[in-house]
Amino acid sequence: MDVSGIIASNAAKYQPVEVEKETPLEVDPGLLLVTDLNPIDQEGYNANLEEHLQSLARDGVQALLASLFSLPTQRSDEGPLAQLPPPTTALPRAKPLPKPKPPTKWEQFAAAKGIQHRKRDKRVWDEERQDWVNRWGRDGKNKQVEEQWITEVPANADVDHDPRKIARDERKAKVAKNEKQRLGNIARAQGANPRGVRKEEIERTLTTARISTASMGKFDKKLDGEKKVRGVKRKFEPTEKSLSEEKNTSLALISKMGSEAKKMRREPAAEESVLNVRKAVRFAGKTRGGAAPARGAARGRGRGKGKR
Amino acid sequence: MLRTIKPKNARSKRALDARLPKEVEDPRTTVFVRGVHTGDVLNGVMRDLMALKRPHAIAFSKKNDIHPFDAASTSTASLEFWAQKNDASLFVIGQTTKKRPHGLTFVRMFDNRVLDMLEVGIESWVSMADIKTPKSTPGNKPLMHFASDLFDTNPRFAQLKSMLISLFNGEVIDSICLAGLEHVISVSLGPSVPTSSSATAGAEDFSALPTVHIRTYTARLLASGTRVPRVELTPMGPSLDMKLRRHTPPDPELLKHAMQKPKLKKTDIEKGVGQKRKNKEVDEMGDLRGRIHVGKQDLNKLQTRKMKGLKGGDVETEEREGETEGQEEQEEEQDTDRRKKKRRRDSD
Repeated sequence: MDVSGIIASNAAKYQPVEVEKETPLEVDPGLLLVTDLNPIDQEGYNANLEEHLQSLARDGVQALLASLFSLPTQRSDEGPLAQLPPPTTALPRAKPLPKPKPPTKWEQFAAAKGIQHRKRDKRVWDEERQDWVNRWGRDGKNKQVEEQWITEVPANADVDHDPRKIARDERKAKVAKNEKQRLGNIARAQGANPRGVRKEEIERTLTTARISTASMGKFDKKLDGEKKVRGVKRKFEPTEKSLSEEKNTSLALISKMGSEAKKMRREPAAEESVLNVRKAVRFAGKTRGGAAPARGAARGRGRGKGKR
Repeated sequence: MLRTIKPKNARSKRALDARLPKEVEDPRTTVFVRGVHTGDVLNGVMRDLMALKRPHAIAFSKKNDIHPFDAASTSTASLEFWAQKNDASLFVIGQTTKKRPHGLTFVRMFDNRVLDMLEVGIESWVSMADIKTPKSTPGNKPLMHFASDLFDTNPRFAQLKSMLISLFNGEVIDSICLAGLEHVISVSLGPSVPTSSSATAGAEDFSALPTVHIRTYTARLLASGTRVPRVELTPMGPSLDMKLRRHTPPDPELLKHAMQKPKLKKTDIEKGVGQKRKNKEVDEMGDLRGRIHVGKQDLNKLQTRKMKGLKGGDVETEEREGETEGQEEQEEEQDTDRRKKKRRRDSD
């Protein structure tokens, strides 16, 4: 059977998709980018500029499409999505890399013990109601005792025994504990050691208490391991100094007196700022099609869907 | 300098969080700034570039007294202020003067500081409206094409390439709808002038650098009988011909910070992203298996069960070895005696 006729007719029907160049084109499918590193053909450039540029671009784009269409695809509602590899062309970032969050005390402990993070469901199964209820929050399971209409009271209970109040206090104590731990984590993340701060505070109070008797603590009984209170050592400047030195000390003293730290009455800090938060909210909302701006940040890389 | 703001409600907190640094960045928001005098050409060019850049573009409608290359002016401070206020990291500044007609300056920022700047002069242009062809959808991601060897060899053109990619195509995405590819931005250069003339002319003579041609086309994908379609281009506009002018290279220290890459995730490393994948494979059970090379094994030196009769070598050396072994044994006995004595003394 002679198929040359069919091949010839096919060739006439379809134009070629191969691109032949002296230096192969550099394709970066991650950025939809193609670079043609062949020197520019002077004759074609001078003869007809627009035609020359268009044919150059067509060849480049054809090579880029060849690599894009060979990528693995994933099905979606709007047609196949080509999975792009990470870009090879390095571009400078617009903002520095995000700093990793300092671990909380629990996270440190869990890491040391090798405890895996397990996400707790927000809802729990209620056997009585035969339904899923919130663990906390509106109609939460943790408020069940204090919200039920009748509560059993033990026989030997006081007159003012209030089981609802007890349950509520217990719940509120948990909330307060959690808040305290959260603040502790923040303080620890900022570098200050809360224990060290507290220790210093206690020592200062103790010193004040020790010299607060009529004899300024002279006849008080000494305790074991009590340290001697150290007073301020006075230091005197020499009476004669060179003129330049004296001038410098005087100037330093004056600037210290005028500084913000020593001022008795401070100006209130200006509340208004140059960044208009309302405008920023509106602008951030506008560019992301009315969606909440932080949602885009949370989704991160998953925004490559659809036409773009 | 803007003060740090403490958000007062959840919505402003979300807006401020959206401005925080991210691992995978959003496209660069670009501000189009008019200088003291712009003129028709620059107004048109900036309008068309903005049409390509939308929706990540902000236009400043008023004129601004800004001279980014003048170190004595406060322009850098202005740029940094605008960058922070608008959350923008790229500026396109149009300014025409008698000395430098139709100048377009691209300023790229990093961490709200100026990273690098590049000035081009528009030689000729055709607007988008003058070319009566269908246009691409605003916000569509373009394909980019660069043609010349100078983009690799000449640092000036490498900077131009990097700047234009940042402007039009900097966003990293992980998938794309192939049917949705609509338009191409093609950047090409004139024939390169022999290097000898440029060497003698010095760094400030920009006429030696070839002209830059920016063309935009819409792409039509035609059936080709294979999986890869045949592409045909139609001019879309704008078309720009321009010459490179002044520039500021990036500060090396700042650039080093700007080029930092996020740590690769463990799954990515297993997939082989970011490193040469050698002697590693993931088997059917999903376990990562590696292959290591352990030299050539010499089976003659293989230690089997020790037997006196199997010992090699000639008789004489064996005898000598026997003598030395005997001496060693004696010494060892003496040693153990001493140790025993010492122990006794210790216990006493």
